[in-house]
Amino acid sequence: MTADFFIFMLINGLCQGMLLFIIASGLTLVFGVLRVINFAHGSLYMIGAFLAYSLSTFLSGGSLLNFFLLMLVIPPGIALLGFFLEVTLFRRVYREEHLLQLLLTYALVLILDELVRLIWGGDPRSVARPDLLAGSVDIMSMALPSYNLFILFIGPALALGMWLMLYKTRAGNLMRAAVTYPDTLGALGVNVSWVMTSTFMLGCWLAGLGGVLMAELANIDLGIGMEKIIECFAVVVIGGLGSVGGALLGSLIIGVGITFFQLPFGRWALLFPYLVMAVVLILRPWGLFGKPER
Amino acid sequence: MAEAILRIENLSKSFEGSVVFDDISFTLVEGELSSIIGPNGAGKTTLFNLITGYHIPEQGKILFRDQEITGMQPFDIVRLGIARAFQKTNIFPRMTVLENAVATVITRQKGNLNLYTPFTNLKAAHEKAYAILESVGLADMAKRQSGTLAHGNQKRLDIAVALALEPRLLLLDEPTAGMSPEERRQIVKLVQELWERLKITMLFIEHDMDIVFGISEKVRVLCYKTILAEGTPKEISGNQRVIEAYLGEEV
Amino acid sequence: MRDRNLDKPTTNNLNWVIGVAVAVALALLPFVLAGFGRTGEYWIWVSTEMIIMGLFAMSLNLILGFGGMVSFGHAAFFGVGAYTVALLMKKGGVPFFLALMAAPVTAAMAAAVIGWFCVRLIGLYFAILTLAFGQLLYMIVFQWYTFTGGDDGIHGIPRPEILGPTGYYLLCLVLFLACLLLMRMIVNSSFGLTIRTIRENMERAKFIGINVRRYQWLNFIIAGAFAGLAGGLLAELNRFAQTEFLHWSKSAEPILASLVGGMYSLLGPAIGSAVLMFLKVFLQQMHQRMVEVWAIILGLILLVVVLFAPGGLVGLYQKMFSKSES
Repeated sequence: MTADFFIFMLINGLCQGMLLFIIASGLTLVFGVLRVINFAHGSLYMIGAFLAYSLSTFLSGGSLLNFFLLMLVIPPGIALLGFFLEVTLFRRVYREEHLLQLLLTYALVLILDELVRLIWGGDPRSVARPDLLAGSVDIMSMALPSYNLFILFIGPALALGMWLMLYKTRAGNLMRAAVTYPDTLGALGVNVSWVMTSTFMLGCWLAGLGGVLMAELANIDLGIGMEKIIECFAVVVIGGLGSVGGALLGSLIIGVGITFFQLPFGRWALLFPYLVMAVVLILRPWGLFGKPER
Repeated sequence: MAEAILRIENLSKSFEGSVVFDDISFTLVEGELSSIIGPNGAGKTTLFNLITGYHIPEQGKILFRDQEITGMQPFDIVRLGIARAFQKTNIFPRMTVLENAVATVITRQKGNLNLYTPFTNLKAAHEKAYAILESVGLADMAKRQSGTLAHGNQKRLDIAVALALEPRLLLLDEPTAGMSPEERRQIVKLVQELWERLKITMLFIEHDMDIVFGISEKVRVLCYKTILAEGTPKEISGNQRVIEAYLGEEV
Repeated sequence: MRDRNLDKPTTNNLNWVIGVAVAVALALLPFVLAGFGRTGEYWIWVSTEMIIMGLFAMSLNLILGFGGMVSFGHAAFFGVGAYTVALLMKKGGVPFFLALMAAPVTAAMAAAVIGWFCVRLIGLYFAILTLAFGQLLYMIVFQWYTFTGGDDGIHGIPRPEILGPTGYYLLCLVLFLACLLLMRMIVNSSFGLTIRTIRENMERAKFIGINVRRYQWLNFIIAGAFAGLAGGLLAELNRFAQTEFLHWSKSAEPILASLVGGMYSLLGPAIGSAVLMFLKVFLQQMHQRMVEVWAIILGLILLVVVLFAPGGLVGLYQKMFSKSES
């Protein structure tokens, strides 16, 4: 393997990882604040992707403007959907056992995934990349798709934005406080319920954004929801639940891993996240999210 | 003569950077009935958790009958002969009192892998279970769902389950917590009776000083992240440092 | 008729009489239906599937109601059983009865491997892991086109001549009853008591000397084996095996069936499964396209159960009619 090829693969892997990070960070943030693992996060991502497809068929031309329009409109739409879900469903089960919450989100996945199938059918779709990003850039004699580079920049930008929001804004501070001191926060007069709802909406926004970006990256089909949520699980296995930094690390590892695994294993590279989970479980059998306590 | 049954050597435990206790050591002699006292949060229950394998210490060793058990799995430690009754009642709520005991007896006899005999047919196990329930005074409630028992009786069941393990060392975590004075008396009487009859080593955590000084042979004070003092009840109640640090509040 | 309550093994004679009566009635059913020609044959087929899916649901409930753990990947073992029969018979020319015996074995092996990883975690994380590894098996079967036929599945599984619709129905019924008795034996045994003990209080179970992980693992394998048998029976019934059998959404049916029919009884899941199947068939009769939204309906029912009757309908029933809660 030449150095050029290695770097080419690495960049592609990082790009995959960044996209995964966008989605996984939403999941982990929601867990951190609401203590709910939202299975349906993958479905929301998928809905975002398919909405991008539908919307793009209405917009003509491959202009950058259309592309940004997709990014501007769809994630908030998903966030709105998230709002309704949170208010009508999730809110009712915060106090319940985790497993009950799990069944709830599982039921949602059943419903949402099937709805996607009914509305859009089983054929794979894709969205054309905006003209400006449709080509490739020559880096060290390898032609790197411009779109991948774009994602490679968006990812860290988003990570930075999230870090800034979480640590430098009042809203972010409230979210972080809600993770550690949910009851105290209420006692201080903060509308905790609103903090939770908006965190959930942010998580959904991220899922939607991930979906929009994915639709131009590769073909989307009915399986991407479940596929993504399992990749997210592998991410939190590595990085820990509730940690955005951990999500970044985990996502990059998974992204790069899958990409490099394709070389020897082709389409079986999709098994990489599972391998990761299995290995972690052998090495840290006391559980993933703690030190060697029992 | 009297051998050491439990040796704690240089044990230290912290949780997320916060030190619970540091470098504590003591030895339990076989057949001893002793207690550990100390202010809330001093780490008494944590100590029990370490002995029974629920947590792993940062440093130090625990030896049971000269075998190192630090870091062993709880179920292995139980099999070696250490049993524990819990502070917060820790029974099997939807099973009957009898089933609680029978399950423990069967486990003690390593009969868990039996996939075919209905457990209700295991006469020997049932007899043993009944005997244990009788020794704690719960025999007449055998068929009741254990979760519906009054608090005091649940504690008795907790002790019964611990006894069903035929332990050499019994750890009792605040056996009289949350009880009325009468219930308290009964439990103390029970503990003393069991100790005299079964001759097992008992170590209990207690806040009620009357009980502590009433029945313990030896008292150890866990305070300020260390064993502040160790001695007979008389010695401890007269110990100036202990009085200042802890007893002052209680007395 | 009261379900045989898992937590109170009963030797009630009345239950036995009723049970035998019902079994006999079920055995005579196909002969009655055979008199209705085409429709009759359809209903024999539906009834056979109900029995098979009932077995599948009961197998999951060993983990769920009885073991106290939610497994979202149980369909994987069902699918493994199905593909075992399909592959052995279609590609290996193995006679049906041998292939059927292999189904629970391969499923048990899959459950042993997957279960080993999953029981390292508990509760929530266990559930997620079962979903992930179940989906892993699905993906392997899906991708391995040369061996499993991938998306196409395996079609045209031969049917032994002696087994017509009625014959096959009776075979399934007999196996179902045999499995029911086996499960009952396991549940009432010391092993069963151990599993219940773990369910009731996992921490305390450790503190009475139970190697919790090991018993959960064994229970998982047993449940997987029964699921594999069910899968094998379904493959032969439909004469094909397809990847959907292992899909994560297929795991929803036994979960819902157990919740609806009663988690704490042996037969509850089977009854719940039958109810759901009746519903499915009924909806299909009403409007052909209804079966396409079946997953949505399942999801909605599950939502309702979770939100309004978290103890399950049986929990509700128990609260209303219970005398044992004193």
